[in-house]
Amino acid sequence: MILSVENFSLSYRSGAGVRHALRDVSLAIGAGEVLGLVGESGSGKSSLAWSIMRHLPRTAQESGRLRLGDVDLRGLDAAGLAAIRGRRIGMVFQDPSTALNPTLRLGEQVIEVLMRHRGLSRAEARDAAEEALREVELREPAALMRRFPHEASGGEKQRILIASAFATRPELILFDEPTTALDVITGARILELFARLRERTGVAALYISHDLALVSRVADRVAVLRQGAIVEQGSPGAVFRTPRHPYTRQLVAAVPRPDRRLVTDLPAPERVLAVQGVSVHYARRRLFRPAPPPATQPTSFSIRAGEILGVVGESGSGKSSLARALTGLARFEGRIEALDRAITHPRAMRRDYRRTVQIVFQHPDSSLNPRMRIGEILTRPLRLHGGSLGEIPRLLEEVRLPADYARKYPHQLSGGEKQRVAIARAFAANPALVICDEITAALDVSVQAQVIELLLELRRRHGTAYLFITHDINLIRQIAHRIAVMRAGEMVDLREAAQIGAADAHPYTQALIAASPAPVG
Amino acid sequence: MTDLLRRLLRTPQGAVAVAMLALILLLCLLGPELAPRDPEAIDFLGRFRPPGAENWLGADQLGRDVLSRLMVGARATVLLALLATLLGTLAGAVIGTLSAYLGGRWDEAIMRNVDAVMAIPGLLMALLLVSSLGKGSLNATLAIAIAFTPGMARVTRSVALAVRAQDYVKAALARGEGAAFIVLREMLPNVVGPMIVEATIRVAFAVMLFATLSFLGLGAQPPAPEWGLMVAEARRFVHQAPWIIIAPSVAIALTAIAFNLLGDGLRDALNPRDER
Repeated sequence: MILSVENFSLSYRSGAGVRHALRDVSLAIGAGEVLGLVGESGSGKSSLAWSIMRHLPRTAQESGRLRLGDVDLRGLDAAGLAAIRGRRIGMVFQDPSTALNPTLRLGEQVIEVLMRHRGLSRAEARDAAEEALREVELREPAALMRRFPHEASGGEKQRILIASAFATRPELILFDEPTTALDVITGARILELFARLRERTGVAALYISHDLALVSRVADRVAVLRQGAIVEQGSPGAVFRTPRHPYTRQLVAAVPRPDRRLVTDLPAPERVLAVQGVSVHYARRRLFRPAPPPATQPTSFSIRAGEILGVVGESGSGKSSLARALTGLARFEGRIEALDRAITHPRAMRRDYRRTVQIVFQHPDSSLNPRMRIGEILTRPLRLHGGSLGEIPRLLEEVRLPADYARKYPHQLSGGEKQRVAIARAFAANPALVICDEITAALDVSVQAQVIELLLELRRRHGTAYLFITHDINLIRQIAHRIAVMRAGEMVDLREAAQIGAADAHPYTQALIAASPAPVG
Repeated sequence: MTDLLRRLLRTPQGAVAVAMLALILLLCLLGPELAPRDPEAIDFLGRFRPPGAENWLGADQLGRDVLSRLMVGARATVLLALLATLLGTLAGAVIGTLSAYLGGRWDEAIMRNVDAVMAIPGLLMALLLVSSLGKGSLNATLAIAIAFTPGMARVTRSVALAVRAQDYVKAALARGEGAAFIVLREMLPNVVGPMIVEATIRVAFAVMLFATLSFLGLGAQPPAPEWGLMVAEARRFVHQAPWIIIAPSVAIALTAIAFNLLGDGLRDALNPRDER
């Protein structure tokens, strides 16, 4: 056994009492084995990783055993830990842009690891670092080593982190959601790299993720964590095809599958909004500096009443800029046609347009004012757009929240509940089109499924059209009538959802579909 | 609010600050009633009487009781300092938040003006204002408030810029809210935390600025028992009767320390991530 965790429990003391993060967790990782650890946010996945790394806050209380080979990790002193961390246990973090020091050259950060843990001289470490970067399939490692983190892409940075984790030849590597911060195609490449490195080095790994489809691809065995306790453990096929625990069944059912359509009716023929040659520029040309490239190239499309138009693309592809132009948050060129009028400037968006087009943002934490009660948050759109305040209980009921939530503050709500309030705020104006800007990206799969179901229910009731922006192509294939694909500010594809996988689709669309994790089961 | 007080009392500096401020508040409210003697009663036989049973903190050059003068003067000194800070904070908060909200060229224009005002040292600015507005406590208050405004505007703007980027502000813009609502209701309540901390620390500066102005003869006028004025009048007799200058100086120092400690304690207590 490389790593064995026996009856490990962890809790945090705080002013509000004791919070249990892990309860009686037992698991083992053999030589060369990859164990996938799946759970929603707050289930204790990261707590387990940090317990193994022995980096816990002072308020932590633990019991049980943690062993790496024949070493008792809990009994180690500072010197013992220094000999283990980085050398025998490596770690790869979720966000490569914060895991690297922005003031040090990339090469320095790998060389330092090698000098410290392999006892190499500076010159030897430089050669070894170059070799390590070549091993993670980076082109021109010598040139890359001279660059700073902000001069490298997210995928390159994650490869460098993986290279420095592997370079010390550790027995165990902890992966904490290593592809979550990357876009789909880059993430898929990182996974392929991981599979090859694993074959070559035979390292054991604990792979933490909230994404079931992904874990089933990389792991030999899967453990499902729920509220700090392991509810199910086994081979990925068995866990996902025939889940025994009700929680696992619920998780598996919530994973979006493109072949299971959730919307069957067709949109009405009339148009609610048409976009003609709209492009967004953020900065202007300045003296001595040329204008930056536009965030979106001129784009045209239209949305019919009750239609769900999906927009997919990687981060930075201009999806959100489009949403900002449609809601008057960014200046744009071109025309937006709605309510029998053509709008060419945000200032021309009159109150009736603002009422017709509503937006729901990605982060539920930042989209509600923390100093306002829910009731007050819902009052504003009603006041502005001529609703009566008596509608608040009905609005809350429509998004399946109890009426007494009107008196609560946002921080008293969970992420899913906050997103429901944001949806209720959008629907308070009785809109014809709601722009959903990655609204489920920050939510867990099971909560995502509930929010999607709620949106579809609201659409059935009010006939609202949605412009649904997402990077999850499996999800959008379930609900959208038509799907638009964006890349580098350009809409490269716009077609019926059923035709998205067709052979005549844009090559980039095909690459996106191929890179999306195949649904489990 | 009670929760905030509880968290404040849990830090040592917060507990000390609350105790000292409670004492100062008591002096402000009940000082004249509690004072053992009339602060303006002149007693020629008791000139320069050292601290003792008759005058606990001694008597000054006109035989007036120093302790009584301190107790009666607390109201003018502390309350005016608080008022000046409040005015300065409010003006600075609105200017800073508005500047962050407007952005672009407006932001540049407002902040460069603020920078220009800031380039003049606070005391010099206050002196300038008082000498053009005329002597007196209220003009001094106004001068200190104006001297504080640019600094507060700068602090507020940096916090407000972060708030401006939040989605709830974008949501308000997207639904077509007016600028007044967004600045006053959406943004201002969310910059209040850091502002309170900054303001409490500035109260201490205001007390000292006030004392300085009175010391220079531009604030309170004799025979008012204002602390700074007391120091100014006593400096001629510092070798003869040091207690006349020591007592008000210590009172000023303690008040400044109390407000500084409160600011320190509030910084910890208002931090939502602090889970003690």
